Amino acid sequence: MTDAIDIFAATASRAASTPHVGGSPRPLLEVRDLSLSFATANGALPITRNVNFTIAPGERVGLVGESGCGKTVTGLSLLRLLPPQSARIQGDILFNGTNLATLSPRRMRAVRGREIAMIFQEPMSALDPVFTVGDQISEAYRVHFPVSRPEGRERAIAALREVGIPAPERRCDEYPHQLSGGMRQRVMIAMALICKPKLLVADEPTTALDVTVQAQITDLLRSLSERTGTALIFITHDLGVVAETCTRMITMYAGEVVEDAPVDDVLTRPRHPYTSGLLRSLPGLSKRRGVLASIPGRVPSPSAMPAGCRFRSRCTHAVAGCEQSQPMIEIESDRTARCWRAPELVLPGAVN
Amino acid sequence: MSSAQNHTSDSGILAVRDLRILFPTRDGRDTVKAIDGMDFEVRAGETFGIIGESGSGKTTLGRALVSLLPPTHGKILHDGTDPVTLGTGAFRKHRRDYQIIFQDPNAALNPRMTIIDSVVEPLEIMGQGDNASRRRRGIEVLERVGLAAEAADRYPHQLSGGQKQRVNIARVLTLRPKVIVCDEVVAALDVSIRGDVLNLFADLQREFGLTYVFITHDISVVSHISDRIAVTYLGKLMELGPAEDVVEHPLHPYTRALLSAEPVPLPSHLRVDRRIILEGEIPSPVAPPSGCRFRTRCPSVQPRCTEEVPAWRDVKPGHRVACHFATADGPPPDNQKAQRAS
Repeated sequence: MTDAIDIFAATASRAASTPHVGGSPRPLLEVRDLSLSFATANGALPITRNVNFTIAPGERVGLVGESGCGKTVTGLSLLRLLPPQSARIQGDILFNGTNLATLSPRRMRAVRGREIAMIFQEPMSALDPVFTVGDQISEAYRVHFPVSRPEGRERAIAALREVGIPAPERRCDEYPHQLSGGMRQRVMIAMALICKPKLLVADEPTTALDVTVQAQITDLLRSLSERTGTALIFITHDLGVVAETCTRMITMYAGEVVEDAPVDDVLTRPRHPYTSGLLRSLPGLSKRRGVLASIPGRVPSPSAMPAGCRFRSRCTHAVAGCEQSQPMIEIESDRTARCWRAPELVLPGAVN
Repeated sequence: MSSAQNHTSDSGILAVRDLRILFPTRDGRDTVKAIDGMDFEVRAGETFGIIGESGSGKTTLGRALVSLLPPTHGKILHDGTDPVTLGTGAFRKHRRDYQIIFQDPNAALNPRMTIIDSVVEPLEIMGQGDNASRRRRGIEVLERVGLAAEAADRYPHQLSGGQKQRVNIARVLTLRPKVIVCDEVVAALDVSIRGDVLNLFADLQREFGLTYVFITHDISVVSHISDRIAVTYLGKLMELGPAEDVVEHPLHPYTRALLSAEPVPLPSHLRVDRRIILEGEIPSPVAPPSGCRFRTRCPSVQPRCTEEVPAWRDVKPGHRVACHFATADGPPPDNQKAQRAS
């Protein structure tokens, strides 16, 4: 316990000493060639391949893609929450210079919740039904800081107030089933942010909520991030949510990052045919009652990934040459895409 | 198709009259007012969209429309006939015209039955044809919804979510229904294939003259495919009108707030920040607020809203709304904005 806190103190002072002037600041998180595979009866099944991205301090990044593209496992791997018996992680996860991929389980525990926190899609299954929400929030704090129970409770109440829960003194003593879905997600956010982490990984945090409540939660996440300087990785399939919450968007397809760009740029002019296809599939962008665009075919199975561009079989722009292996190409200083035709293709985005 | 095909009554293909559906709470002391007074008609051949938050009663309504739930009060007329009054045999024959497709394509298919067996099961139950002719018809329909004949002898787990939803569509089509209630049919599908399935629905409507009741919480989907849209809130209709009017010029404060909450995938310079953040969440249907149900979250609430239930009235031709203060020009002004202006 005390050991864990010492470790935190060390990282915190290192982070605090990071110079923050001019140019691009030192990234908070740098994921380098992250490849994940799961052990199966038929050998290792590759899930993601050479995922690379960086997150600057305070940045809000949307990680998007269809189900099965590897966005959730990528999020889980940052916190090393995948089962160690079956998941194999290769590559580096540099957080403030420390490689999380090789950290001992004990030191990793000091990072979880303290430096990087996570919230999930279904708040009810992430909360323990037999403890009050106040107990659970203060536990998240007391794991990392040696404070008394009463002080933990005070901090839990303050955290509940911070996320906009009315009457936090009363709510603190309630059980998860007494709260609505939106309130539970606010509790999860309070718990995630109580240690003032530098990075919050939010995996589909609003998917189970109604649009009116979703709007409340995305606004809350954005304003908390702006106010506290917590960086945010927002994993979602909803491009509208990314547009309203994030500053950058990373598109994943079939286990690879295929595009990484500032949100406004990618919505206006996507550079990868898959991102363009996703944007064109949104019903709001087609003529009312007109034929909706869609992406033909389906994501190839992880056990039968084609060589070269993985999107090739579904891509309307595929030509000879796409079967070659596709590196990420830099298009502008802050934009990359995994498509060798990206410089010449003019792809439709969210704006006509 | 049945002889009733050309028989049209003035009440529309589906008519809902003062519908109430109540469920007792678990302790039996109270009732959940899932549907608490709804009146509307669905016209033959149209796509009637229903939007609302969870807990607004839209799924209960969908089930009631196809006689899966009996009305507690009021009635639902199918082409002028009240199915409750039909005898068992007549009811069974009647209900093939009114079918439903559910949200979860996995849960709707029996994992131990092959696709073709699931697809022809309704025909078997109706006692139509022999095995060979049913199989022929099943394969025909599978091909019509875009599945290769090879899929017929597979099991559900061998198909993707989109393919499974196509199987569910095929199964309903074998009966050649007149009305299909679609309850969140694309919610479980990825965006990239949603378009395909929605296009299929549109094609089938043209081909078979189907009437759809499309229930969804996804505003972009409902506004894309619907001719008319109804907005539900806590067991009541708040607004009903032509899809374009409801989406572009909503008259009820709730519709306006609901539409503004929908996240838009547009770059920041093109986004108009007209978002109205609704406070709190939908109240419990066990004890809905007095007067107007939306008043506890309404940004335009007035004292009258607590006392009086707003009438379900025509504000424009074909555009109904349940709000004391809505006019043909739009919803009443926001209290805060009105205050700031004065």
